Amino acid sequence: MTVDLDQYAKPGKGYYLALGLEGSANKLGVGIIKHHLGQLSSTNRAEVLSNVRDTYITPPGEGFLPRDTARHHRNWVVRIIKKALVEGNVRGTDLDCICFTQGPGMGAPLQSVVIAARTLSQLWNLPLVGVNHCIGHIEMGREITGAHNPVVLYVSGGNTQVIAYSDQRYRIFGETLDIAIGNCLDRFARTLMIPNEPAPGYNIEQMAKKGKHLVSLPYTVKGMDLSMSGILANIDQIAKDLFGKAKQVKNKQLIDEETGEPITSEDLCFSLQEVLFSMLVEITERALAHVNSNQVLIVGGVGSNERLQEMMKLMIQDRKNGQIYATDERFCIDNGIMIAHAGLLSYRTGQTNDLWNTVCTQRFRTDEVFIKWRDD
Amino acid sequence: MATSLPYTLNLSIPFESARQAEIACKTLSPDPILKVNELNVKYSHDSNTLTCAFSGVSDRVIRVAVSNVIDNIKTIIECMDEFDGKEDELFQ
Repeated sequence: MTVDLDQYAKPGKGYYLALGLEGSANKLGVGIIKHHLGQLSSTNRAEVLSNVRDTYITPPGEGFLPRDTARHHRNWVVRIIKKALVEGNVRGTDLDCICFTQGPGMGAPLQSVVIAARTLSQLWNLPLVGVNHCIGHIEMGREITGAHNPVVLYVSGGNTQVIAYSDQRYRIFGETLDIAIGNCLDRFARTLMIPNEPAPGYNIEQMAKKGKHLVSLPYTVKGMDLSMSGILANIDQIAKDLFGKAKQVKNKQLIDEETGEPITSEDLCFSLQEVLFSMLVEITERALAHVNSNQVLIVGGVGSNERLQEMMKLMIQDRKNGQIYATDERFCIDNGIMIAHAGLLSYRTGQTNDLWNTVCTQRFRTDEVFIKWRDD
Repeated sequence: MATSLPYTLNLSIPFESARQAEIACKTLSPDPILKVNELNVKYSHDSNTLTCAFSGVSDRVIRVAVSNVIDNIKTIIECMDEFDGKEDELFQ
């Protein structure tokens, strides 16, 4: 790595501070990160000064809608920014830049947060840096785990991608052709009326731990890509047959063939996880073979699922010097600190957005971003 | 641009200072209007007043737009109340 990251340092200041605002889905996050001058390395790590998050939780059986989520973010954004400044013990004059999620994500929530970012940037005379949400996840994952050049599996409520770095771009090797894996899990949680607190995926994971019987579901890997909507439709139908409210027809009993025991909702959660995660492991392994790598980094909300981490580990252990990197929920699930971190890397290479260039966009692909801060 | 937008509404919002009105105007201006043949919004500022001029094909379109702009202005004003002139302050 030979990119000079200190051309834009303030004279006489030995460090950088960035404020990051994230609100592309139902989490509102604000974080403050500190970089010291020089290349980031194992001896010069980025420091997390604060990482505050507030999640918009909907009742069981309901998803979060853009308008309501935007209202939640508007209600909280100023208070959360203030909380982050208090926790980080940081003054406005200490900051170098304000970073915000420019996309991809839901339009209304993104827009409600960028309004606060624009206002604060003008009030305190700080430059704005627009950040691609996916790049935020990748860079934060690399920084926290120390993974140097991993194949990245990015799995969340809105995204499912297998990514590898080449020539200053994060390139997408494989991705979902329809819905994201987190969306698939969340929607099944709604079918079963599982609570959305703290997260629907987390509750499915806990139920799956009690599941024993594997129910047969479609397995839909399409080359390097995945399709998940058919699996969801299939398991939704099974769940409706078993536990549906339509009592005019007696609910079907589904029996496990080997033990003769009835199938429970825990078994369904278990089966859904096993099938979805096997598909992810398959395409990740193929990407590893393609790029001749032996490191996997799992990022995104679904990445905090321990069963996924375990399955990935089993695969990686069979490869020579294989290593798996994952983070916990503080950095996996959407947060402001990753936006601050990726934005600060951008800022240190001279990339900032003027006001007219801060419009958020719902579609913003990972490989559109020029990774100026790496040149390996 | 031959389409006519017969319904109009002007909002005038006073701020504490001309600078605040200008910041609000600049914060609102970048976001594009999605359906330009149905709605047009023009933001301007004069001393400490922010003016939002709406014109649209129906009063319904205007009502939705006004409600959205007011929501945004609420965030802007809350931001100003909490942070304007306080960049040197350590919040407690």
